[in-house]
Formats: sequence, structure tokens, C-alpha cells
Amino acid sequence: MPETILEVKNLSVSYGAVRALQNLTLQVNKGELVSLCGVNGAGKSTTLKAIAGVLKPTAGEIILHGKPIAGRTPEQVHKQGVALVPEGREIFPTLTVAENLRLGAFGRYDAKRFAADLEDMFTLFPILRERYHQAGGLLSGGEQQMLAIARGLVSHPDLLMLDEPSLGLSPNMVDQIFQLIAGLKERGITILLVEQNAERALQLADHAYLLSTGSCVFAGKPADMAREDVARIYLGGGERA
Amino acid sequence: MKRFTDWLLRRSTVWLLLAIFLIGSFVIWWLNIPLIEDMFTVGAITLIMVMGFQMFMGNSGILSWSFVGYVGIGAFVSAICSMQPQLKSMQIPVMYDVLVKIHMPFPVALVVGAVVAALIAAVIAWPLMRLSDAVGAITQFALLIVINVLLAQWQEVTNGPRTFTLGGTRLTTFWVAVLVAAASIVVAYFFKESSWGLRLRASRDDRYAATATGVNVIAMRYVAYVISAAIGAIAGGLYSHYILSITAASFYMSQLFQIMSMVVIGGSMSVSGAFFGTVLVTLADQGLRQFEFFLTQQGANAYGITEIVLAILMILFLILRPGGIAGGRELSLAGLAGRGRKRKQKREQEEPLEPDTTD
Repeated sequence: MPETILEVKNLSVSYGAVRALQNLTLQVNKGELVSLCGVNGAGKSTTLKAIAGVLKPTAGEIILHGKPIAGRTPEQVHKQGVALVPEGREIFPTLTVAENLRLGAFGRYDAKRFAADLEDMFTLFPILRERYHQAGGLLSGGEQQMLAIARGLVSHPDLLMLDEPSLGLSPNMVDQIFQLIAGLKERGITILLVEQNAERALQLADHAYLLSTGSCVFAGKPADMAREDVARIYLGGGERA
Repeated sequence: MKRFTDWLLRRSTVWLLLAIFLIGSFVIWWLNIPLIEDMFTVGAITLIMVMGFQMFMGNSGILSWSFVGYVGIGAFVSAICSMQPQLKSMQIPVMYDVLVKIHMPFPVALVVGAVVAALIAAVIAWPLMRLSDAVGAITQFALLIVINVLLAQWQEVTNGPRTFTLGGTRLTTFWVAVLVAAASIVVAYFFKESSWGLRLRASRDDRYAATATGVNVIAMRYVAYVISAAIGAIAGGLYSHYILSITAASFYMSQLFQIMSMVVIGGSMSVSGAFFGTVLVTLADQGLRQFEFFLTQQGANAYGITEIVLAILMILFLILRPGGIAGGRELSLAGLAGRGRKRKQKREQEEPLEPDTTD
């Protein structure tokens, strides 16, 4: 029985009167890559934000390492070992690459470990070494995404949450990002991945959850997810019984 | 040794700024022209205010209207603390007896002023730090009005709307102002580069991403706000012991506008920007005042032209170069070297070098 990192039970989140997520239950075990799929507005990013503490859930439990964390502030959740790489490459544009990376390391470890981590990041993302003293905003979209992921990694998260890492990138860069995610999985990093690009995400995933308008419609092995199911959700052919 | 020189190089910004400022001070002291020395002393005190202002506003991105209120608090508190009791009872007959009895040396009085301002900021600021943008700016503005009304009406403490005259000799000398200003540059720079400063700058860039990275945005803002209030209060104390007669009106909109124009024109996001903004606006201000004086002597009524020109300058900067002169960059040896190299490369591209025939 693998160690459970994260358990979400009957999670519901509302934006005012709008229910964005209803009764979601999911589990992430150590070393697994779990993928959350679904179209726009299905509640994928909402789930990640609720886990990270950015949104307060209206009901349900979020359990990390056996301890409930629902209702904690984002910085407390970050300290507990959850790193969120937000959607849209939210790096800090006026800070240098060096400063962006230093920020990632603040939450959990002191600066001493940072030098070794930095070398590690440079082997994963050689471009960051070249751009080390440049402002983050001057990087290209793909480079910014790499920086955002590296910023998440230097905190040594027990759970790395990636929100749409391939969004808005060139096909070539998308390939690179997915190769990278596969590499992170091989290193044994536990990942919760939200992706629009379901096909690519499902190739890598150990477990998959398919969301549709705030509810979970499928949970299990990606191979069991019938192609029709996915097509129906994504292409909206709901009437075909 | 290598580590030490590396450190010097990495921190070249602060040494360059200090060198420019201290050499400038030395030249002015050597010239020994009272009028210029007087302008420079006031300029140095203003520089302390600008550094305190930049520390909070530049790093957090929140316009800190209330800042100048803390300058006023520091000015009055330190003046009350340092004045001779007999002098106080003579100048301000209505003052509370407890306050009249207080008497302490000038440096201690400065520190007490800073501590009082920091405590007031610490009590008020927590809820304010949750607010950003327009809401934050309006609340800060309201706070400035509250502080100003207190300073202007609490006659048992500040002599109310009448002038508060310190009397005695100027305790803020030229070198006192210069040394404290130099220290304020160091504090502002190292705060910006510290881990707190870095977290605060991250929250300025993107509040959501900063919290997701584990930054407690409100706590970081709070710390910076309180330190900034303390630095402002020290500047206020130096100001009151230099000018020797103050009113609440000295610490209100016009003073705030002056500080703000310096930070905006220089570039709020870097210490170098704030520094050069102060130098530039002070020079422009003095130049325009002479011009105003000259025009008035010629019979033209040019009163207020200084403020108008500075305001137009600030608007132009906000439209054309919102980042100010510095645009977030710091003056540094590496930056200067890079610029020199680029210029050389450009020259070489334009006129190809002669083939090297020496070997």
C-alpha cells in the first residue's frame, strides 16, 4: 500500500452563488502523477486553488499527510509541502530569475541548501543559467513556464501541483514541457497535473479524474477511461446515449 | 579575501551611491557657502524621507499617503523631548505638565520620536495592509487627514494651529544630516535586497503568485510600513531641529507631493532611482525658485511657477516613463561596465577595426 500524500473528500467550492465544484473526492499517493482533466469551467483550477489555500472550500475535507489543511492560509499550506505552479506562468516579472528562484526556496528551507538546488535546476533547465540575472518578464513564454516550475521545485514539495503548464506555448515547447514532467515523475516527485491537453496528460498519468461542470464523472486508471467518454465531455455530444 | 571583493562587487550599488553622496557633501562643505550648505542640509533631510518612502512604496507598490504624517509625529515628539522645560512652558503655556517635564539629549529624542511613530504605525497598520490599489490609497489618505487634524488641533501637545517654536540652537548640523542620510541609503538598499524586501517585491509583482509561493503578503507589508514610518519620523526630528519652528501644515500635502515627485521622477522601484530623483528634483526646485524670484523682481507675478513646472514634469514622467529615470534598475559597477562594453561593440560594428599587423 503506497503512502497517501493528499486526500480530498467531498470537496465543494463556490464563487458567491455559483457552485464551481461539488463533492469532489480524490487521492494522490506518493510518487504518483495524478491528472485532472476537463474542459474550461469544469473546476480543475478551482480544485488546485482550494488545495493550495487560495480559495476557502464551502464543504469537504482536504487532508495532507493525514492532517486536515482545509481553511489554512496559502503560506501555511506551502510550509506543509504543497507547491502550486499557477496557471498563466505567474512569475514575478520585475524580479530577476535569481530572485524568483530564491523566493521559491524561502518557504521551507534556509538558504544553505539553495546552492545545491540551484545546480540541480540548472541541469534541468539550462536556459535559467544563461538568464540568471535577467528580469523574469524578459523571458519567453516557455522559459517563464520553466522558471515557474523550477520555483515550485526548489521548495522540495511533497506535492507539486501544475496548473495548465502547456497553456499558450508553441507545439515544440509543449513537447519539452511534457518531457520535463515525465522526467520529474521519474525522479519520484508526486504531481497533481491539470491539463487541457488531456491526451498528453493521460499518457503520463497513473490515475485520472475527469471533471465536468464541477462534478467528477470518471475516476480511475487512464486506460479505463473510454475514448467516447472523453470525446463526449470535450466535444459536448451529451445527447448521444 | 576573494569572497570579500565579490561581496563588494555584488553590493556596488550602495557603495557607488554613498560615494556620490559623500563626495558631494564634502565638496559643499569645502566650498563653505552658507546658502548652499543650507539647501544641501534640507536636501539631505528630504533624502531620508525619500528613502523611507521608497522602502514601503517602492517595494510594495502601494502609495503610502500617510507617510508624511509619521514625519510630522517624529518632528513634534522629538522636539517635545529635547526642549528645555522652562523654554517649553514659556513657548507653549497650555502644554500638559507631564510633557513639559520631559527633557533628554537630542539623539535620544530622535530615537524616541521614531519609536513613537513606529508604535502608532504598528497599532494602526495591520488592517490597512490588507488593502491594495485605490481602496488602499484612499484609506491611507484618510489616515493622513486624521494625523494632520490631531497635529493641528491638539494644542496641549503641538501648540495647535500656532507655530511650535523650538528655540535654542540648531541641533541638526550639516554633518548630522549627511550621516543620517547616508545611513538611510544603506538601510533602504539592504532592506530591498533582504529576504523580506524580496518577498514584498514579489507581492508587488503578483499578489496571488506570491501567496502561492508561501509569502505572507500582509505581514511583509506591515513590517515595511512600520520601518518606513520610523525612518520618516527620524527625518522629521532632524527637520524640526533644523528649521526650529514647525506647524502641522509643514507635514501635509505639499511636503508629500515633493517626496512623491522625487520618487516618481527618479523611479520608485529602485533605491538608485529614488536617490537620483531627489538630486534632480532638488536641483530643479532650487533653480526654478531662483527663476521665480527673478521674474517677480522684474515685476511679473510668477508666484507658484515652481510647483506648476514640477507637477507638469511629474505628469509627463507618469505618461512617458512610468518607471521613472531608473525604471527599476540600480546603479552598479556591473551595469556600468556592461554599458561601456555595449558602446564599444557598437563603435566596432560601425567602423571595422584595422587589421592587426603587430604580430
